[in-house]
Amino acid sequence: MDTRTRVVGRRIVVATVVVLQLAFVARGYTSDHKEFAYQMFNESTDWRADIERVTRDGEHIPIDQDWSGYRWDQLVDTRGLLEPASRSHADAGIDNQLAFLDAALDYVARHTPNDTETRYLQATVTYWRNAHGPKVVVLRSADREEAR
Amino acid sequence: MTWNRIDELLGRRVSLRALALLRIAAGFVTVLHLRPFLDAARDGRIYRDSFYEPYASWYPELPRSLYIALLWLGAAAAIAMAAGLMTRVSTALTFGIVTYNLLLSTTHMHNNRAYLVVVLGILALAPCGRECSVDAWLRARRGQPPLDPSAPGWPLWLLRFEACVVYGASGFSKLVDRDWFGGTVTWDRAMHARDRMATHTPLPDWAISAITNRTFHTFAGKVIVLTELFIAIGLWSRVTRYAAVWLAVVFHVSIEVTSSVQVFSYLGIAALVIWAVPSTRDRVLTVDVQRAAGHRLVAVVRALDWLARFRIEPGPPGSPTRVVDRDGSVREGRRALVFAYSRLPVTAFFALPVLAVTRSNRKATTALPA
Repeated sequence: MDTRTRVVGRRIVVATVVVLQLAFVARGYTSDHKEFAYQMFNESTDWRADIERVTRDGEHIPIDQDWSGYRWDQLVDTRGLLEPASRSHADAGIDNQLAFLDAALDYVARHTPNDTETRYLQATVTYWRNAHGPKVVVLRSADREEAR
Repeated sequence: MTWNRIDELLGRRVSLRALALLRIAAGFVTVLHLRPFLDAARDGRIYRDSFYEPYASWYPELPRSLYIALLWLGAAAAIAMAAGLMTRVSTALTFGIVTYNLLLSTTHMHNNRAYLVVVLGILALAPCGRECSVDAWLRARRGQPPLDPSAPGWPLWLLRFEACVVYGASGFSKLVDRDWFGGTVTWDRAMHARDRMATHTPLPDWAISAITNRTFHTFAGKVIVLTELFIAIGLWSRVTRYAAVWLAVVFHVSIEVTSSVQVFSYLGIAALVIWAVPSTRDRVLTVDVQRAAGHRLVAVVRALDWLARFRIEPGPPGSPTRVVDRDGSVREGRRALVFAYSRLPVTAFFALPVLAVTRSNRKATTALPA
């Protein structure tokens, strides 16, 4: 015979999981990473990006050249960001890809302490969403303390 | 009144055999899932050596050596979970470590990993180590009586809900997307793959031409979306369940062949066992074991009846193979054979279409003698 506590506990666990899961599914329509929303193969989007370092004196230098002992492909090697200049498929959709690229720019800005020249990083992204487009969007990292 | 019905459903004692099977499969799937992390760690690299993005600044990050040790512990726990050794502890540990690792960075998140976390979490809540486990074997060896393999069904219902959400959410998101339902998405991918199909596959020109035809995708897009939705809904009805399971296997195999989806296909197919009716040994298979064919059939059923569908009984010499279903209907001879194979996880995929074509899945006309 189940105790009252067990019966109520079951209700709470089941209701919590069901509500949370449905909330995640609904959230998937507005969130970048769509955690637990199971929107698989949601787009056929291609993208590419020209990423540059913008220095204190306003110069734009592509990140395909090493700088201050750093290389982009050593700093960022995941989620399709290894070779941003090559046109590639956005596995989990363009919003997801742009969010990762934006975060990667901030990561690189924060993890290159020897670089005292770069004020911020900038990515000019071109994408073709479901064969439409192209569209262009510009992303920018936070300003770097080291270059001030 | 409604609460009583809900409580009765959640507390109804059912066989957890399917969850025991899924536990074994999920253990191996977890090892496969952890393998890339372990390989990278062996090469001296972990997630934070390059770009990663924590979900929350307060989320604890372990020292390097401890993190790597945790990954290995996770793999060991997954193997113990598969074996059913200290099942509650090993399953909870596996769930904890896989979840911790997943939430370390947004870059770790993938749909298949999210589903794995959900499956492991529900397995951790269920007493799924009472059979098909080292724990059960040790208990028997000590001369202790086996634990009741049935338990309240709520973890099973919850897992069914989650499995259904995976197909339903995916299908619905495509249904409301005009580009998906209209075929633009699949057509665009096919166009991108056209050169590769020509050079890297044995597909003839006419097939490549058909696959890259825009009109073809106007239909294909709808078929894919409706397939996902049919699986999500069809799994709930006993009338459509076998068709939905069969389609789900085709769906997962197709994805595995055409895309890189990490452990999704393995997990998705393994999780289909939860749709088996949660009762065991409620069908009687009567076989004339004097005949070599009968003897072979018994060996095959004993080896492959992982969901414990059948109770096997020796039939009189010369009698045909016979299956008495749980509703009392009877099938004999070839029909019984196909029916038996259609209820074994490994052979079901091949036997179900035969069963459908021969219509031997209809209720038998022969009634059991009182």
